Amino acid sequence: MADLTSRLVEQVLQARAEHTPVHIIGGQTKAHLGRCPAPGSKPPMLLDMTEHTGVISYSPTELVIRARAGTKISDLNKVLAEQHQRLPFEPPTYNDQATIGGTVAASQSGPARPWYGAVKDSLLGLGLVNGYGEAMQFGGQVMKNVAGFDVTRLQAGAMGSLGVITEVSIKLLPQFNASHTLVFELEPQAALQRMQTWASQSLPISGVCYWQSQLYVRLQGGTSGVAEAAQQLSGQTLDAEVAQDFWQQVREHQLLVPQDDQTLWRWSGPANASLEVLPATQLINWAGAERWALAAEALAPSAGLCKYRGGDRQAEVNPALNAHDQALQRRIKQAFDPDGLFNAGRLYAWL
Amino acid sequence: MAPALGSNFAALLSSLKALLPASSLILSDESQRPFECDGLAVYQQLPWVTVLPETLAQVQTILRLCNQHQVAVVPRGAGTGLCAGAMPLAEGVLLVLAKFDQILDIDLQTATARVQPGVRNLALSEAAEPFGLYYAPDPSSQIACTIGGNVAENSGGVHCLKYGLTVNNLLQVTMVTMAGELVTIGGEGLDQPGMDLLCLVAGSEGLLGVVVEIKVKLLPRAPRVQVLMAAYSKVSDAGDAVAALIGQGIIPAGLEMMDHLAIKAAEDFVKVGYPTDAQAILICELDGTDAEVEEQLQVVSQCFTDHGAYQIRIAQDAQEAAALWRGRKSAFPAIGRISPDYYCMDGTIPRNQVAYVLTRIGELSAQYGLAVANVFHAGDGNLHPLILFDASIEGQLAQAEALGGDILTLCVDVGGTITGEHGVGLEKMPQMPYQFSDAELAQFRRLKAAFDEADLLNPGKGIPTLKYCQEYRSLQHG
Repeated sequence: MADLTSRLVEQVLQARAEHTPVHIIGGQTKAHLGRCPAPGSKPPMLLDMTEHTGVISYSPTELVIRARAGTKISDLNKVLAEQHQRLPFEPPTYNDQATIGGTVAASQSGPARPWYGAVKDSLLGLGLVNGYGEAMQFGGQVMKNVAGFDVTRLQAGAMGSLGVITEVSIKLLPQFNASHTLVFELEPQAALQRMQTWASQSLPISGVCYWQSQLYVRLQGGTSGVAEAAQQLSGQTLDAEVAQDFWQQVREHQLLVPQDDQTLWRWSGPANASLEVLPATQLINWAGAERWALAAEALAPSAGLCKYRGGDRQAEVNPALNAHDQALQRRIKQAFDPDGLFNAGRLYAWL
Repeated sequence: MAPALGSNFAALLSSLKALLPASSLILSDESQRPFECDGLAVYQQLPWVTVLPETLAQVQTILRLCNQHQVAVVPRGAGTGLCAGAMPLAEGVLLVLAKFDQILDIDLQTATARVQPGVRNLALSEAAEPFGLYYAPDPSSQIACTIGGNVAENSGGVHCLKYGLTVNNLLQVTMVTMAGELVTIGGEGLDQPGMDLLCLVAGSEGLLGVVVEIKVKLLPRAPRVQVLMAAYSKVSDAGDAVAALIGQGIIPAGLEMMDHLAIKAAEDFVKVGYPTDAQAILICELDGTDAEVEEQLQVVSQCFTDHGAYQIRIAQDAQEAAALWRGRKSAFPAIGRISPDYYCMDGTIPRNQVAYVLTRIGELSAQYGLAVANVFHAGDGNLHPLILFDASIEGQLAQAEALGGDILTLCVDVGGTITGEHGVGLEKMPQMPYQFSDAELAQFRRLKAAFDEADLLNPGKGIPTLKYCQEYRSLQHG
C-alpha cells in the first residue's frame, strides 16, 4: 500500500535523459501477450509497478472504486465482494497475480464482456505518466464526463505504449443474486445459430460459450428472472460448482494452452461470422464474437485474427495496418511519448 | 454573398463551386442564417460559406481543399448541441452532414445497425422497433439530434447508468481526417488490438475528424418497463434514497430527480399530476422480464418509503408511465414558459454530493438574484441546473454566465466535471483550465495535432490554446 507516483516520474525522467527504453511490468502475467522484440543495444529500465498498490477510494453507493495500478485484481475482487459488488468486465486473475493496471493496458475482459462491456466500458478515469515525465489525471470518478479528449479509454489495449498508468477509477456493478448454467449438446453450426437467436431476445445472459460439442449458457441476475429464463431456454442444468469451474477456466484462459511449437490464435469479429473464419476452431466465446484455436504456425495475423500466445513473437502478432493508420498511430504515440520510451515494439514492430 | 477574404479563400470558393451542385453550396447571408448557431443560441456567427455534400467523395475533397488552402472547417449535424460546438466561424466553412441520412443496414443476427451520420437518433430506434430492438442512448433532443452528432459529443440520455453513453454502444466509425483521408476505427467485432481510438473519437467534438459512417449495437426491448414516481419534502431525503437504492444492488434503467421549481414549471406546463408541494421527486424506470421487474419494484418502493417519500405513484399502464416521463422531458420548455430565457448547465457530481451541491446552488442563486431550477440524472450524477434570466435586461446574460461558471467550478470542487454530456465547445472553454492542469491541456493539444496538425478542424472549441490558458492563469492570480 504505497503511492510511488513521484518515484515513477523520476524514473521516467531519468530514462528520458539517458535515452533508455522503459519496460513496464506488474504481476508479469501478460508476458506472453503482444510482441517480444529482439533485445536492443541498450538494456531497458524495468518500471516495476508491483509495489504501487492500494485502493485509493471506494464508495459502494457511488459504484466506483479507485485503485493504484499495481493492485491485484484478486484483491479488488475481495474488497468488492464484501460489499456485494463486482468488476463488470470479469477480468482474469491469473493465479491472483494480474494487476488492474496490466488488465487495463491489455484490455482483458472475461466471458461477460458482450453483455456487461469491456474494460474500457467500465473505465471512468486514470492517472498517467507520459514520456515527458508528467503525472496527469484524466476522466474522473463520475459516470458521465466529456470534458477533453477521452485519454482514459484510449489506454485500454495500448499495452503501455502511451505511458505508465498509475491509477484507475472503475465503474462497478452489484453482484448477481442468482446464477444458473445450462448446457446443450449441439453441432458447431447449430450452436452458432442458437447463439444468434438469443442475441435479439431480452434474457439475463452473462456468458455463452461452445466447447467440446457443448453449448454453455450462463444466466445471472435476480433470482426470479434467472429462474424464469432457465425454464424458458430448457437445456440441461449444470451443477453449480462444475459451472463455476468451467466459467473460471474460460475466464483464466486455461482451456487452451499452447505446448512446444503450438500457437494459440484468437479471432474477434462479428458474432454471426461463419465457422470458416478460423480453421479448426476449438472454443467459441462471447456468443460467437470471440473464437480460439491451437495450431502449428501456418496462419498469419489478418482481419480479426491475432497470434495470441506462443509462436514466433518477434514477428508481428496483430493484423497489419495500412500506411495511413500506421502513420496516425505513430503520431499519437509521439504525442504522448516523443522519445519512444515505453514498451517499444510490443504492439507492432513499428510502434 | 460571402465576404471577400484572402486569395486562398477565393481559390477555395472557385474549387468548391466546381465540385458541388448549386444546391449544396450556400453563400448568401439570408440562406445561411439558420446555421448561425446550434442549440446554444446566445453564441451566433454567420459562416463564410456553408456546404451540404451528398457523397463521401465530396466530403473528402472538401476537407482536402480546405486543408490545402488552410481554411478552417466546422462540422455540423442537426445543430441541437448545447455548447456552441457547432457555432460557425466567420472565416471558415460550415460542413453540414444533413444529407447523409440513410440507415444502411440493420442486422438482426448481430443486433447491430450501420448508419450515416445524419440519421436522427429516434429514427434509428423507430426503424429497429419492428425487430424488437432499439438504440439505447436517448438524449432529450432525440427527435432531432443525429447519430453523428451523438458520436461527436458522446451523448448520454436518461438511461446511461444501465445502458451507457454513446461510447459504450459504438462498434465502428468511419471518418475523414482534415487531410481528406478515410480512416476506419473499431471494427466488426467487440475489440481490436491496440490503443482504443474508437473511444478517443467519441466525444471529440468534431476536432479529430468528420464522421461519415457509424456502426452501433442495438439492444432487445425489455418485455416489461415499469415507471414509478416518489415525492419528498426534503431534497436530502431524495438524495439518500438514490444512494440507498444503488447500495442495495438495484440498477434502474432510468432514475431522475427534479427540484421544486422544475416540478412546478413542468406540472403547470404538461399537467401530469406531479405533486407541486414536493421539494424533490424521483422518477424511476425499471425494465426486464416480468419476474425481474416485479422483484425490483418491491425493493424500490420499500427503499423510497424508508427514506421518507410521502407519496409513491406506480404507473398502472403505459399511458401513465409516458405521462410521468413527459413531465421530466418537458422540463426545459416548461422553464422556457416561465422565464424569457434560460441557461442550461451540465455538470456531473458524485451522487453523494447532490444535497450539498443543490444547497450551494441555492445560495449562489440568491447571491446572483437569478432563479435556478434543477433536473438531475440522479442515477449517473449528471446535474442540469437551469438558470432563469432575461437577456433583454442589460447585464443579465453576463450574470447568468457568471453564475453558471460558479456552478461548474463547484462541480469540479466536489470531485465532478464541468460537462457530463453536452460537451465543452466554445461555451465551457473558461472552465477547462480549472479542471485540467497545463500539462494535461498540452497533452490534449498534442493529441489534436496528431490528427490535424494545422488546427483547421473546428478550431477554438473543446481544447483551449496555450495562450488562452496563460491568460486564464494570469487572471486567476492577478
